[in-house]
Amino acid sequence: MTRVEPLVRLTGELQKLPGIGAKSAQRLAFHLLKQPRGEADQLCEAIRDVKERVVYCSVCSNITDCDPCFYCTDAGRDRRLLCVVEDPHNVAAIEKTGDFKGAYHVLMGALSPLKGVGPDDLRIAGLLRRVGGGEVTEVILATNPNVEGEATAIYLAKLLKPLGVRVSRIAMGVPVGSDLEYADEITMLKAMEGRREM
Amino acid sequence: MSRGGAAHFALAMPVLTTDALILRTYHLGEADRIVVFLTPGRGKKRGVANGARSPRSRRFAGGLEPLTAVRLAYYEREHRDLVRLRYVEPVRSPMSARDGGRLGYVEYFAEILDECAQEAEPNAPLFRLGSAVGALLAGEIPIARLARYFEYWVLRLQGVYPSLNVCGRCGRRPERGGRIDAAGGGFRCGACAGDRGLPLSAEAVRFLRDAAATPPDALAQVGLPPRADQELDRAHGRLLAMHLEKELRAARVLRAMARTSPGATSS
Ligand SMILES: [Zn+2]
Ligand SMILES: [Zn+2]
Repeated sequence: MTRVEPLVRLTGELQKLPGIGAKSAQRLAFHLLKQPRGEADQLCEAIRDVKERVVYCSVCSNITDCDPCFYCTDAGRDRRLLCVVEDPHNVAAIEKTGDFKGAYHVLMGALSPLKGVGPDDLRIAGLLRRVGGGEVTEVILATNPNVEGEATAIYLAKLLKPLGVRVSRIAMGVPVGSDLEYADEITMLKAMEGRREM
Repeated sequence: MSRGGAAHFALAMPVLTTDALILRTYHLGEADRIVVFLTPGRGKKRGVANGARSPRSRRFAGGLEPLTAVRLAYYEREHRDLVRLRYVEPVRSPMSARDGGRLGYVEYFAEILDECAQEAEPNAPLFRLGSAVGALLAGEIPIARLARYFEYWVLRLQGVYPSLNVCGRCGRRPERGGRIDAAGGGFRCGACAGDRGLPLSAEAVRFLRDAAATPPDALAQVGLPPRADQELDRAHGRLLAMHLEKELRAARVLRAMARTSPGATSS
C-alpha cells in the first residue's frame, strides 16, 4: 500500500465506486499516475460534464443533456404509446431491442414499503398529467418483475384506467426478482410483445 | 487466509438446510445480495448470496423476494455474523397472489417480522405466523382482515397485547367495548377509560377474541366490520410504534398509497 498522500486520496475515492475493491482501486490509481497529463484531464472533464450537463428531462424524467430529451422531441416516435419504467437504465434495455418506437416515462424508482418509498417520491404526477393530456392511447407498464415492480404496476393501473387509456403489463418472461437492466434483447423483446391488458 | 485454509474451513463448517421466510435483501456490490431470513429453529439470520443479482444465477432464482417461503442451505463462518448461502429454493412466492392489490402488504408484513424477530433467538411461533400469512396472501381472505389478524398475533407473541377479557381498572367484563392505551395503560371499559387511549367497539373486541381462538386457515369464518377494521388499524399502528419505538416505513407507504388511489391496496 502506498503512503504518498495524493495517491492514497485517489485510491480512496476510486474505492467508493461500485464493484471497485481496495486492490482494483490501487491498480487504477497507479495506472492514472502513469497516463499522460492530457488523458487524466479528459477524465476529470468528463466527470465534471456529467455532473454539470446531465439533467432529468422535464417531460419524461429520463436522463438527458438537452431538455426535453431526444425521445420526447423525436418526431419519428409514436406519442400514443407510452412505456413506463423504473429507471433510466431500463430505457436503455428497451432501446436495445430496437423494436419499440413509442415514448417513455421514467418513475425514478418503484413503490417500496420496506424502503419507505411512497407515491409522492416517484414521478407519478407527471405521468398522470401526460396521460390526461389526451394524446396517449396505451400505457405499457414495464416496471421490474418483482414484488415492488408488480405492486407499482397495479397501483398505476388503478390510477390510469379511469383516464380512458389501454393499460398493459409486460409479460413475465424474465425470472421473478431480476432487474430488467440485466435482461437481454430477446427476453426484453418477448416481454414487450407478450404484454397483456391489465 | 490461504486457499488451502479456506477449503479446510469449508469442510469444517457443516452446511445447514432449513425452511425459511425471506424478509428482505440489500444490494452488496455489483453482483451479490445480503439476504435477511427467518428460520423456525435459529431465529433471524443474515447471509451473503453470491451472484444473486445476475439473472443467470440459478442458485437463487425467484427465491429472494420478501415473504417468499423457501428451502435454503447455508454455512456459518467463524467470527462472522454473516452466513454464506449455498442456494435458495422457492417453495411459495407472494407473486402468486391473484389479486395484485395485496402485494403492497407483502413488505408491510416482512418489515414487521424483521423488526420483531431477533438474531440468533429462535421464535418458531413467529415463523409459523409469517408463513401462514404469506400463504393466505394468495387466497381470498380480505387483506384488511388478514392484516389485523397478523398484527394482533405479532403483538401477542411479543407480549404487548393487553388482556381484553376484563377492564384493567374495575375488573368488569367490558360488554360494550372500551379503550386501549398503547402507552401502557392497557385496556379499560368505557366508564373507566375516560378519553385515554383509542376506542375499540364491541365488534372490534369480538374480532380480537375470535382471532385469539382461530387458526389462520379458519380465518375466512371470522367477521371484521369496516368500523372495527378502522379502530384496530389505528390501535395496532399505535401499539406497534410504541413497542418498536419507531413508525413502520411500510405502514406510512401503505397509507399514502391508499390515500392517493383508493382501491389500489384494498380487497
Ligand atoms: Zn424526455
Ligand atoms: Zn372499568
